[in-house]
Amino acid sequence: MFYIKQFIYGFLSTMGFSIIFNTSRESISKSSLNGAIGWIIYIVLTDTLDSSVIAAFFGALSVGILGELFARFFKKPATIFIIPGIVPLVPGSGMYYTMLAITEKRFIEAADLGSETLFIAASIASALIVSISIGKLLRTSNFKKLNKKKKNF
Amino acid sequence: MKKDEIKNLLVMSILAGKIMLRNGAETYRVEDTIIRICKSRNIQYVETFVTPTGIFLSVEHEDKLFSYIKRIKSISIDLHKISEVNNFSRKFVNSDMSISEGMKILESIDTIPTFKSIVRYIFGGVAGGFFTLMFQGSFLDFIASFITSFTLLILLDYIKKIPITFFLSNIIGSIFITLFSIALFKLGIGNDINKIIIGSLMPLVPGVVITNAIRDFISGDFLSGTSRAIEGIIIALAIAFGVGIILRLGI
Repeated sequence: MFYIKQFIYGFLSTMGFSIIFNTSRESISKSSLNGAIGWIIYIVLTDTLDSSVIAAFFGALSVGILGELFARFFKKPATIFIIPGIVPLVPGSGMYYTMLAITEKRFIEAADLGSETLFIAASIASALIVSISIGKLLRTSNFKKLNKKKKNF
Repeated sequence: MKKDEIKNLLVMSILAGKIMLRNGAETYRVEDTIIRICKSRNIQYVETFVTPTGIFLSVEHEDKLFSYIKRIKSISIDLHKISEVNNFSRKFVNSDMSISEGMKILESIDTIPTFKSIVRYIFGGVAGGFFTLMFQGSFLDFIASFITSFTLLILLDYIKKIPITFFLSNIIGSIFITLFSIALFKLGIGNDINKIIIGSLMPLVPGVVITNAIRDFISGDFLSGTSRAIEGIIIALAIAFGVGIILRLGI
């Protein structure tokens, strides 16, 4: 029940972000679905693996790969599906708690939280790198097939 | 092709590139669109160089060189316009559309807003509010964060009209969020002040910039990637700074 609730919250929150970023009407539901799936993967993995860094990696990876697939399927730029979906994973809370710890002069805790935030950001970045590289690979392999077809004709 | 026509084609492809870049497209996509549009009208040599702050384009046709530089100043996010220009460039390349017709279509893409501002404000509130719930906030936290994000977006639209730097506007945004959430909390709306602030901060977080920076790095546009990454870091610092000031004052 908890995960179903989280899925719905993730869906609606990503929908809000896709409207802030002016996604076109027919893409809103797809990018919201993408964000919700990424978020639920993040939540489930944080609970089971007890590491938000790895969870953020796999969440962002799923957002990236699904975004590339949607882009190929619906013939739209991949960023439309990836950008709203990635926002919930961005460690805004880590940033806030780091700042809170600094203002309350709990510096050791701040270093702890700050480095975790940085690692989450880095893992999201590397997940995006992996997914975009996979997307590029798919695109170029398709091109080769097309060229071969043309040669046969 | 005559000289005038080449000039118009240049202006049109720069306009297409400008719309894409101004609304948050990656460098690679802008370069690709410009080159495709130019090559579709039988131009032998096209080269373009795009950074987040400007477009450089030069074209050679029948031993004459044409070049055009366009400076891009403000960047806002409108993903719909990117996909519209993307569709337009596909249509333009695969048909005999005249250049003046293309200009008209591009201008209409540039001016038509995707959503009414009130819809954007409401869904901005939805985004912030449900984010609070994602962090296990209560229903009262949801309401507080909804109101805060809603007013934040109105404030940001208002600030956009004044020529101040993006650093300052982010600081003002985060100061406003923190003050407003604390005020709501003191009025009795909300149970956990931290969750309200986190949820309302999310519309400010530089997710787009960072995603685009990484995409630029992957396609080998290191200059654009670096400048976007620095922009993202500065925005994050501005947000942290604004929140920090208010929390330190301990109102």
